[in-house]
Amino acid sequence: MKRLIPLNEKARHLAQPSAAPAAGEATLMSNVVGCTTTFDPGWELDAFGGLASLCQPMEADLYGCTDPCWWPAQLADSMNTAPEWTDGKNSALRDWRELQTLFPED
Amino acid sequence: MKYWLGILLACCALSAAAKDFLVVVSRPNLLHVIDLAARTTVHSFVIPGDGLPSAVTLPKDGKVAYVLTNRNESISGIDLDSGKEVFRADMSLPGERVKSMMAMVVSDDGKLLYVHQLPTRMTKNEYEVMPTRIAVYNTADGVGAKPVRVFPAPRRIGLLAVGASSDRLIALGWDMYVIDGASGRIDKTFPLRNWKRDGMGEPDILDFWPQYEQARMLSTPYYAPRTNVDPTSPEALQLGMLTFDLDSETMQVVEVANADTAIFSSVVNPVNKNEAFAVMNQISRIDLAAKKVVQQVKADRTHYAINISSDGKELYLGGATDIVSVYDAATLQKTAEITIPGHRDQSTSSLRVVRR
Repeated sequence: MKRLIPLNEKARHLAQPSAAPAAGEATLMSNVVGCTTTFDPGWELDAFGGLASLCQPMEADLYGCTDPCWWPAQLADSMNTAPEWTDGKNSALRDWRELQTLFPED
Repeated sequence: MKYWLGILLACCALSAAAKDFLVVVSRPNLLHVIDLAARTTVHSFVIPGDGLPSAVTLPKDGKVAYVLTNRNESISGIDLDSGKEVFRADMSLPGERVKSMMAMVVSDDGKLLYVHQLPTRMTKNEYEVMPTRIAVYNTADGVGAKPVRVFPAPRRIGLLAVGASSDRLIALGWDMYVIDGASGRIDKTFPLRNWKRDGMGEPDILDFWPQYEQARMLSTPYYAPRTNVDPTSPEALQLGMLTFDLDSETMQVVEVANADTAIFSSVVNPVNKNEAFAVMNQISRIDLAAKKVVQQVKADRTHYAINISSDGKELYLGGATDIVSVYDAATLQKTAEITIPGHRDQSTSSLRVVRR
């Protein structure tokens, strides 16, 4: 590592970690108060460990989670990363078969 | 004398003609006006620009609906008679993405629009989360409006309401706040996440459905653990109801049942403010004075949102799919179903009742 010399500003930053990280460097994203911060079960089990409080039919909840970026790990989000995922498919109940799998390169 | 008689008669005629309408939005970027007596959609207006619409707020006269759209980055004001866009505020700026998580309200007189904003600075290597704030717009500024003032506001605000005057701003987040809309000063804080109640843990609230316009009572279900009982007992998690009187600025929280079903949102009966109705997969009637759920019936589908007619006789269930269900408030029996034109989903959007 001693033989590597940083040549530009970004490389110099990487070579010299900041002694005192700036306040607020890691900041929680704002979110509405909720029953599911991100990783709670939801599609598989309800908050009570059963199925009765899952949305019925299941597709009823699809765009309710997609649109406000509710479960970004489990679902595409229409707000930022996959705005065109549901284009032309305005009824989750009727159109869910046309929703395509998303890959990182998408 | 004849002059005043004429005015009186005109007022009576107007009053007699006024009736309830439901204002909802749907994918991809549509605003619908539903005549509730006729059970029909009388207007479906296209909101200009990119979708998807979410929160809706209207002044008391119900002439213009302000819709949060463009992936929660813009507000479009649509005239409910002509369908024309009469107000537009695009919140994002070059290098700064600004979204709102549904918290938006227009004053009753229709002059001021308050929006809770989440700005993010988009730099080359990182997204920098900026402090949250409330922006205030003059609706008279029309299309291309810019905020007339901006002040810092707490994070996690999902609901805004206007109190007794247009500068009293009520905000629901981790706690309930009353904010002076002129100065931005937080005048009162009603602790929720920070409450200290013997035997009760932190409440958990998910609510961004503004459904307070008929009773002028902001209400929301909450879930909270009892800390003084066996954690495995049915009483260990409680369903509660929070009600906030927008005029007197008073808040009440009551536990009404053991938590065994999920509930998304609620509405207070304008003719009996001790009665609330809540919805998700069931419709619940809640007696706030007796502190209990007194009736619960199964809905035939999930609805996120619930609202009530101005006379307290009908309940309207919407959100999620493309259906608005109508229920009799006295019996909780379903009386009608209204399909959003084109079977377009409402998703997490607002369901507003306006008398015009």
